[in-house]
Amino acid sequence: MERVIGIISANYETDDLGCLTQERTIASLPFGGRYRLIDFPLSNMVNSGISTVGLITPYKYRSVIDHVGAGKEWSLDRKHGGLFILPGSLFGVTSSEARFMLRDLKHNLVYLKRSIADYVVLTASDVVYNMDYRVLVDQHVRSGADITMLYHEAVEDAPHDLGLELDGDKVTSFIHGVKKGENIFRNCFVISRALLMNIISWYSAEDFLDIFEAIEPDLGKMDIRAYRFGGYIRTIDDIRDYYLHSMDLLQDEVRRELFSHTNPIKTKVQDSVPTKYLEGCSVKNSLIPAGCFIKGTVENSILFRDVTVGEGAVVRGSIVMQHCTIEPGACVENAILDRNNVIKAGTVIKGSPDHVFVMDKKTR
Amino acid sequence: MKKMRKKEILAMLLAGGQGSRLGALTKTIAKPAVSFGGKYRIIDFSLSNCANSHIDTVGVLTQYRPYLLNSYIGTGSAWGLDARDGGVSILPPYATESGGQWYAGTADAIYQNLNYIDLYDPKYVLILSGDHLYRMNYQEMLRCHKENNADLTISVMKVPMEEASRFGIMTADETGRIVKFAEKPKQPESDLASMGIYIFNKDVLEKALIEDSEDASSDHDFGKNIIPKLLGEGKRLFCYEFSGFWMDVGTISSFHETSMSLLEENPVFDLYDYDFPIFSNENLSSPEYIGPEANVSGSIVGNGSQIFGDVIHSVISVDSYVGRGARVKDSVLLPGATVEDGATVNRAILGEYSVIRAGAVFGSEDPQADIAVIGDDCIVEKGGES
Repeated sequence: MERVIGIISANYETDDLGCLTQERTIASLPFGGRYRLIDFPLSNMVNSGISTVGLITPYKYRSVIDHVGAGKEWSLDRKHGGLFILPGSLFGVTSSEARFMLRDLKHNLVYLKRSIADYVVLTASDVVYNMDYRVLVDQHVRSGADITMLYHEAVEDAPHDLGLELDGDKVTSFIHGVKKGENIFRNCFVISRALLMNIISWYSAEDFLDIFEAIEPDLGKMDIRAYRFGGYIRTIDDIRDYYLHSMDLLQDEVRRELFSHTNPIKTKVQDSVPTKYLEGCSVKNSLIPAGCFIKGTVENSILFRDVTVGEGAVVRGSIVMQHCTIEPGACVENAILDRNNVIKAGTVIKGSPDHVFVMDKKTR
Repeated sequence: MKKMRKKEILAMLLAGGQGSRLGALTKTIAKPAVSFGGKYRIIDFSLSNCANSHIDTVGVLTQYRPYLLNSYIGTGSAWGLDARDGGVSILPPYATESGGQWYAGTADAIYQNLNYIDLYDPKYVLILSGDHLYRMNYQEMLRCHKENNADLTISVMKVPMEEASRFGIMTADETGRIVKFAEKPKQPESDLASMGIYIFNKDVLEKALIEDSEDASSDHDFGKNIIPKLLGEGKRLFCYEFSGFWMDVGTISSFHETSMSLLEENPVFDLYDYDFPIFSNENLSSPEYIGPEANVSGSIVGNGSQIFGDVIHSVISVDSYVGRGARVKDSVLLPGATVEDGATVNRAILGEYSVIRAGAVFGSEDPQADIAVIGDDCIVEKGGES
């Protein structure tokens, strides 16, 4: 493979995830029972043979740094290369599509300058997929394009995302707000290191923009192409996305692809005890990580570590994050419980599949 | 010789034993590497005890089929034991200018690694066995050792009198000083059994091991030779009485029984203790998935497992698979074991990555029958074992 380094951008915010991202960034949003969203791009990088990865941190970076640490779980605690923490800047209002802010790249230019890599793969940290970036880089090198953007057809309307108008594999224009079935940019692209540094310098006066906002007027002058990823790939933009795509994990084929044994998604290890299913419990169609203690009923749900479901308690169609306790006889339906919530005995919490009830994180 | 920074205490962990009574489970791996409790390996318990006791320098003596153990322990980072100044060292038998030899016994294994101990010049040496299940804070034992001004402290626990003849039995005076030791006595005088955990003053250990190595009649064993020898010399040997759970899972039936005891709601040996966590070199599997028609009850299920059938009162280790219409009862599935659709498994232990083919029946519900065992990577076809 060509010499490639990675950059993961985690410096952007949204209000659409509500209280789920009140105290944490999108990158550190818990997902799939034991993961956080950043695990997907970070593991993809490493599984693609990219062993030098810069992480552009968001302003509220505590939870991200707590999770990735020195990158040990991803084998990125290297003598040569490895994980680089690239501090992100503070921005005012940015567009909903903005993922790769020029100023963040400019302020960390030394990361690019010191590298000897030919290409840079840049990804955001709000997309759930398991992909080998080598195919993306291969096509990019073969086509001789300036930039190759990863896309897929939108599975539903995505009004806050960037879409691509294509002629063959050539990107002819950007669409702002994507309708179901249109080509949606999945916040990942490859570019030569030299061109990336040039773009940072050419558009230096507009460094408050996202790289694609900056180059949009000049689209005709550049050779921008697209690569279609054929696997499962979803962007988590809002609470509805979060709920629906979490529930996708209950499908065998989605799990098989995302949690591939050959290209595993890695995460911070917590040494939890295997989960105990006590006599009389009933667990159906659910994803359960280690550390749980289940006496009641759990159906069509995703639990996180260290969740207790008491006797006679019911959890249905819900996502229950770490350290929550559902006391005996309580009932939680179509809800997202953020960390450390205790649902008292007998309490009933009910949302509907279209309007999921969300309970914010508590401090222990 | 340049020395490392001096340590107060270092641990020597004996992990070379085969554990031949575990039969098929230790055919390809050493006993300390055998999986236990859904996601652990037996050696995790003593390594975690070291980590939780702030003992950061551990020599692991390996001999029998060590490759899995070696790769599992790695740098020791999974137990937080990858310190630059200390850490885990794997100590296999090695060659010298006069040739090389296997470890001839527990004492010989330590004797051959006196140079390693010297490197850290510790005041005390803790000697452990890597194939026991227990939680212990060795610092408390060390405090007891110091208070008694002992030369050697032996951790002991009370055992039922009728079982005492299986152990090394201590007779102690009212101060805890050992006055008599009998290895597997026919007529035990006491019910204090040695747990095979020793704290020696380093100079006492060194002298005893050197003298023992020159004794051609010795079996080079701590229980048989070193302890009686020191007792005979009038050294200060003391008991440290331990009252928690301790188990040497020596046989298939005790392995099965101990595994089953974890399934109680509040087991005697509770793996759920956040103040004293058991660390392991954890796999990176996804959470387990329990299917729409699955029925899981009274069981432990590890990460990465996919359960579509019935799992009753069983330990399902990481990355296992139980197919549709399959039924697993009173059994232990070791990591990666597969029970295909419609197969039945009763009172059995399935080795790592073993397969019970669709529709096959393995094990018997009869409580008097022996526990059925299939080794690592073996396959049971429908209609009999192949």
